[in-house]
Amino acid sequence: MGRVKIARKSTFIDMTAMSDVTVLLLTFFMLTSTFLQKEPTTVITPASVSTEKVQETNVLQVLVSPKGQVWITMNNDTSAQWSNNNMRVALLDKVTEIYNESHRNKISFTPQQKQTFSKLGVFGVPLAQMGEFLNLADEPEGITKMDQWLAGEDNNPNHITGIPITKENSDESPNEFQMWIKAARQAGNDNLSQAMKDGAGVAIKADQNTSFDIIHMVMDNLQTIKQNKFTLLTALKAGGE
Amino acid sequence: MAEVQQSSGGDGKKGHQKKMAIRVDFTPMVDMNMLLITFFMLCTTMIKSQTLTIALPTNEKVQNEENMSQASADDAVTIILDAKKKPGPVAGTLVVDSVNGNVVNEVYYYFGKPGGDNGMFGAGGAILSENNNLQKSEFLTDEVNSVGDRSARGIRQIIQDRNKDVLKEIAEIKKKLADGEFGSLETKADREAAMEKYNEAASAIRKNENLKKPVIIIKSTPEASYRGLVDVLDEMQINSISKYQIDNLTDADLVMLDDYRKHHQE
Repeated sequence: MGRVKIARKSTFIDMTAMSDVTVLLLTFFMLTSTFLQKEPTTVITPASVSTEKVQETNVLQVLVSPKGQVWITMNNDTSAQWSNNNMRVALLDKVTEIYNESHRNKISFTPQQKQTFSKLGVFGVPLAQMGEFLNLADEPEGITKMDQWLAGEDNNPNHITGIPITKENSDESPNEFQMWIKAARQAGNDNLSQAMKDGAGVAIKADQNTSFDIIHMVMDNLQTIKQNKFTLLTALKAGGE
Repeated sequence: MAEVQQSSGGDGKKGHQKKMAIRVDFTPMVDMNMLLITFFMLCTTMIKSQTLTIALPTNEKVQNEENMSQASADDAVTIILDAKKKPGPVAGTLVVDSVNGNVVNEVYYYFGKPGGDNGMFGAGGAILSENNNLQKSEFLTDEVNSVGDRSARGIRQIIQDRNKDVLKEIAEIKKKLADGEFGSLETKADREAAMEKYNEAASAIRKNENLKKPVIIIKSTPEASYRGLVDVLDEMQINSISKYQIDNLTDADLVMLDDYRKHHQE
């Protein structure tokens, strides 16, 4: 048998078209993406037929874990006066003021601590421990330590995770969760106060398997301080009505 | 393409220039792009959350009893949510869906007062089982028959039945909307304008005092899950219920639930 000579062909594949497509895809993802926020607990929101879109600015998001822990995320205007950073400092000042009215152990924060707080996406530790929490930022790997504290994974029994919230509550002696909400209303940002009055300014984000008991506690706390309108974050239910 | 061929220009007769092929290998570029795409795909959320707005009454005690709006027993429908519990010795542990791991909710309802006009309690606090007007239902989606007609089932059917006056009118204006009586539906702006008019009309119907409509009181046991609550609130929206509220369980409700379970054991 004679050998059949196979002509050697170059295996060079032209990748230009491929590159074009990937760049287009990349552009699409870069433009449409909003980054996932780091959250101390992962929740799956329940499905609902409601099609109202979530408000992205001027909103306090109350994250509720199935265990009943509560964290707050605040998203503000893009305006310079009430940027996220400025607003958070104003909020911390206000909540300190409200807290000191009713507690004998006064708290205060240094400018350095306020600076750290202004960069926090989500917060949720008792005010009495807030100073210690904010000081962590100056330590090596402080951000990781703070995240672990927020998620309750730092194995330190003295560190309490979540904003203190109680079932029994009153308008006159509010618990810390109510203080934060009140502080947000009174911090001087009219846009946020208005949004909270309309109900779009407070959003509850909770897992679908959270017991009613816990949801009711959060709602009841809001009702007591006359925050009667609020929104529940839900996912879109397929095949709605 | 990624090849640049330098031809001598013209028909090539004038001079013999060496042809040069410049090839740029794009493979590493594609590799890098793919990595970036993967990164963006994993780090982004495409779905924006939806929101459900609810307004609740204040917790303040009403000073003047006369100012309180009382739902008449005719209109009142109470929906009670509960989590399904395992029967027998492990009583108290919740049944969990084997597929998605969710808590299984049960839904009960009764019309008017607990135990009807005579109440649940007899002389000396005796529980009157025969007066128990609690019934069990389910969360079910609409059934679509072969012709494409929808019919509601479960708790939705019960709510719709109580709210049929309002729903009839809503169906009429929905038809009007589809027929273009609220304005044309050609462009997006037109559609939005028409939707706005429609929503106004729908809201007027929901608030119309002349129509008979139910007042729904939503109650839940502490164990029931948040998903159940959102499901009930959804039903309110689907069925155009204008008056509903979330309330606490009363003793009578708990007694009725216990009593119902005692008599309807699976």
